Amino acid sequence: MPGMLMDGGGAIVPFSGEPGHAVAAAPPVRNIRHGVAPPISRVYVSFSSGNLLQVACLRPPNPEGGGDRGAEEVSGGRVVEVNLGGGGSGPGGADAEEIDEAEMRRIEYGSVPAFALLQSRKNALVDGSGMSRLPSVSEHAEWWQYVLEYSKTIGSLLGNPDSLSAYMIDDPKMILKVKEKPTSLKAAWELLEIFFVDKQLQTWLPERLVDWLADYDSLLTKTENTIYRTLINFQKKLINLQVVEDDPDYWSGLSAALSVGWLDIVVNMLRFHGSYQLDQMDSRETENGLVEAVAVLVSTMPRMRPDLPSGKLGQCCKTRPDFIKALEKWRGQVSKLECSAFWIQCGHQKTRDGLKSLLHIMLGNIKNLTASTSHWLELFASHLLYIRPFTVGFEGMHQLAQKCIQLKPSADNSGLTGLLTGILSENREVVLAECTKNFGPWMVTHAMELLTADNDYADMMLHEERPNFGGISIEELHRLVYAQVLCSHALTWQIAPTYLSSCLNQGLGLLEILLLKQPIQDNRVVLKTLEICRLYELENVSTNIMKIAGIYHWKHGRKGTGVYWFQQANDKVRLDRIAQQLFEHIGKSVTDDSFKQWEGLLELLGSDIGSAGGLEFLHRYRDFKRSLQMAQEGRTGESVRQTVEFLIQLMRNPSTPQRFWLPLLHDSVRLLNCKPCPLLNVAETTLLLNKLQELSLAKLRPDFSNIHLPSHALNSVRLALASNLARAILEEP
Amino acid sequence: MAERQVAELGAGAACVGWNHCGRRLAAGAVDGFVSVYDSQSQPSPSSKWQAHKHAILNIVWLPPDYGDAIACVCADGTLSLWEEVSEDDQLPTWRKCKVFESGNSHILHVQFGLQLSSLKMVTAYSDGQVKVYELLDSLELDKWQLQAEFQNITDPVSRSGKPACTSASIAWSPRRGESQQASFAIGFNSDSPNFNSCKIWEFEEAHQRWLPLVELGSPQDKGDIVHAVAWAPNIGRPYEIIAVATCKGIAIWHIGLSAESDGSLSTENVAVLSGHDGEVLQLEWDMGGMTLASTGGDGMVKLWQANLNGVWHEQAVLDCNVSH
Repeated sequence: MPGMLMDGGGAIVPFSGEPGHAVAAAPPVRNIRHGVAPPISRVYVSFSSGNLLQVACLRPPNPEGGGDRGAEEVSGGRVVEVNLGGGGSGPGGADAEEIDEAEMRRIEYGSVPAFALLQSRKNALVDGSGMSRLPSVSEHAEWWQYVLEYSKTIGSLLGNPDSLSAYMIDDPKMILKVKEKPTSLKAAWELLEIFFVDKQLQTWLPERLVDWLADYDSLLTKTENTIYRTLINFQKKLINLQVVEDDPDYWSGLSAALSVGWLDIVVNMLRFHGSYQLDQMDSRETENGLVEAVAVLVSTMPRMRPDLPSGKLGQCCKTRPDFIKALEKWRGQVSKLECSAFWIQCGHQKTRDGLKSLLHIMLGNIKNLTASTSHWLELFASHLLYIRPFTVGFEGMHQLAQKCIQLKPSADNSGLTGLLTGILSENREVVLAECTKNFGPWMVTHAMELLTADNDYADMMLHEERPNFGGISIEELHRLVYAQVLCSHALTWQIAPTYLSSCLNQGLGLLEILLLKQPIQDNRVVLKTLEICRLYELENVSTNIMKIAGIYHWKHGRKGTGVYWFQQANDKVRLDRIAQQLFEHIGKSVTDDSFKQWEGLLELLGSDIGSAGGLEFLHRYRDFKRSLQMAQEGRTGESVRQTVEFLIQLMRNPSTPQRFWLPLLHDSVRLLNCKPCPLLNVAETTLLLNKLQELSLAKLRPDFSNIHLPSHALNSVRLALASNLARAILEEP
Repeated sequence: MAERQVAELGAGAACVGWNHCGRRLAAGAVDGFVSVYDSQSQPSPSSKWQAHKHAILNIVWLPPDYGDAIACVCADGTLSLWEEVSEDDQLPTWRKCKVFESGNSHILHVQFGLQLSSLKMVTAYSDGQVKVYELLDSLELDKWQLQAEFQNITDPVSRSGKPACTSASIAWSPRRGESQQASFAIGFNSDSPNFNSCKIWEFEEAHQRWLPLVELGSPQDKGDIVHAVAWAPNIGRPYEIIAVATCKGIAIWHIGLSAESDGSLSTENVAVLSGHDGEVLQLEWDMGGMTLASTGGDGMVKLWQANLNGVWHEQAVLDCNVSH
């Protein structure tokens, strides 16, 4: 995609070798496809989560307003969401198309346990060594093994391509068999593991690189030729060939495969030679003998490596002296065959020339190697195999790589070749830059553990706190960037806390912002967010989230849920306010209908919350109302008596607000009137009459809040009380 | 990957504003209508109502601690607050809570900030006045009290006359710990140079007043017109980052957290970014304060980042002028 953000908008450019170069490089311009007809009068932007940027493109408002019918149908603009990560949360750049979103999410999820385990081990190591920055030698010797285990675990997530090996049983004409398409991500990961982590590989690094090339040669370049491409093209051609050895591509393919050490492919292809056919018209024994001799030599080539995978050819030499001895012997056999007199008897010119070319490759002829390889990395591998098998150390390999690049310059330099160049130059900054540019934040975050497996300088470089970043290290910076990528998707934001918790300076700060940015409408998201807060001991954030949930539900009619969340948040301010609102609401209009809708809320609020015991009053008032209802329905003596007791308690209690006096008394009028015997004694009746008198006097004050009761309420209460008083006096002894 | 469409704006859309998590969008139109979109559902609005009789110039969402609510700045200079309410799982409706009349001057911009348990609203007026209101009821948005009124000048003795301001930009310091003081940055676009430069104001709890802490600008730049101000979220840095857009470009400032011996905060202009062909209209930080997005009158969106050496540069450009 030409307009794709090549650098990945969400990623930090980690390396700027030349300040002038950084300034001179103009960023790519990406056209936003919003579908709004020009002109655009105004653009608004907002970051929603992580690297997601919402862009609102507005057209100029029509001056005619709504009068024109046509104008009404024209869109006023559109809002689109742009992922600045460059095509999803996977690696940026052209390689992003290699791995789709679902696959990248699987990798991201699968990486979390290995990453968390390694951090846990690192923390245990630091604690065990008395907070010392540098562990002891014995512990340090084990650390790279932990990293290797981590690397193997993560590497297994990145796909499992079969090596390019031939299986004659499957298909006699099959040269290359690929079970799974290789990915640049796995190729890059293996490169880092080979060079930085696996100590067991140090003695046979060239061989390991040859193995790597066998797996990933197809990824070296997208536009130029590779040996893999040569063999693929020949394989397509093979089914139509009658006489294989007459085709120049056959011999080119053989030379190419041999130059990079794909011995099994070479032997397999040699067996396609026509001299192996049983229906020969004339005698080809000498020719076939020569072909078979070369095949035997190829299959017994000495390899300095601890073992050989099944299906691979060659003679395994575990030690350097063994390898030198075997190589000299083998080279002698090759030279002897090259000088053999049997070549004169070989009647097929192409076979003679082709086989001799293979022998020259085995003897390390630089012209043949250069002609047989396509990419500089292939030439590099061929040098390691046939010319300089004893190249040791990064410096030697780096010099050799530079020479090969000069011999075969490449215009289409893929991320893998840049990464290898950075590795060989022992420049960790370049390695990080290549990882960021070509593979994205996931790779950088997880690869830094490999870079620091056994390198004090890399450890210092990556962990040094830099004022430029606000006091954090490069490692922490990249983890923050990766966490933002994870935040960009609803399915991956929940694993961001694992990485943020390993950022000691700014991780929790970003985590707090991430959690507060989650939407409150989805209850499952709220619960998940609160769980993360509990896990990372973010009490302030969880309190804020619960308050936000409380106000959201309160405003949307779910008052019970709102009160629940306020209680969870211990939001005394709002709970007091709700109690006060309830107080005022009940005081204004105390009817049975309005009271019922508040009763559940009152139950939820409980008694312990509320200022000055106001809520306690409301609970007693609720008990009074319930008892009153029972008394009016069942008219049992017990409920009547209890209602009267509640009434007296409420009227005696100083916390009962004055505006509730008349409603309380008015509620009791029917009860007082329907009984032949008095319900209140003289003292109780006198108390209530005094309250009534006090209320009458209060009505004269200007600040008195009028209660919405019928105008005759006061008189009916006074009449009921007076009647009760009269009967009470008569009954008293 | 193609862009994902979030909302289809109606005819006459003049401004938009996103809520705190970017999932809801409110759009104001020239006919005074407001439409609210939910980005997780369909592109059409979930609510639409007429908030004003005149064009709506600006929409700002309130913090989610006070529900789903917006503030609309109208072309006639008034400001109205609306909140989404519903009863017993009925469809939500938007209710008007409060209207702030314009009086002698127009309201240009508004921003909301949280401080301890109270919600504060900063309004900028066309006569250069800055008024800070405080919400009295934590459950209702209709009771506001004017807490402070001042001008955006650092020297109160030289109180000048009424400038003519065409726009203002306000940015509250993002949410921090409970003990942090409330502060905001404000800059004006006016005919009076003293008012223009971006200044940071902090609320002094002891005396219940707002004090100017810092003025962002060198002596020769302090009269520059300010177009936009954005305060970066602080995820743990020992300094604050504020971006200020003037006619000279976008300036990135580092503000020290603790006061120096003379009581002032250290300021450092770490970058001046140019590139927009025309006026910078908006500045927006990402959630970590690492990427700054700017929009300009040229229809471009630019993304700015600092590299490993702390040098700010243009990371990417989004061109919104072409339709596909």
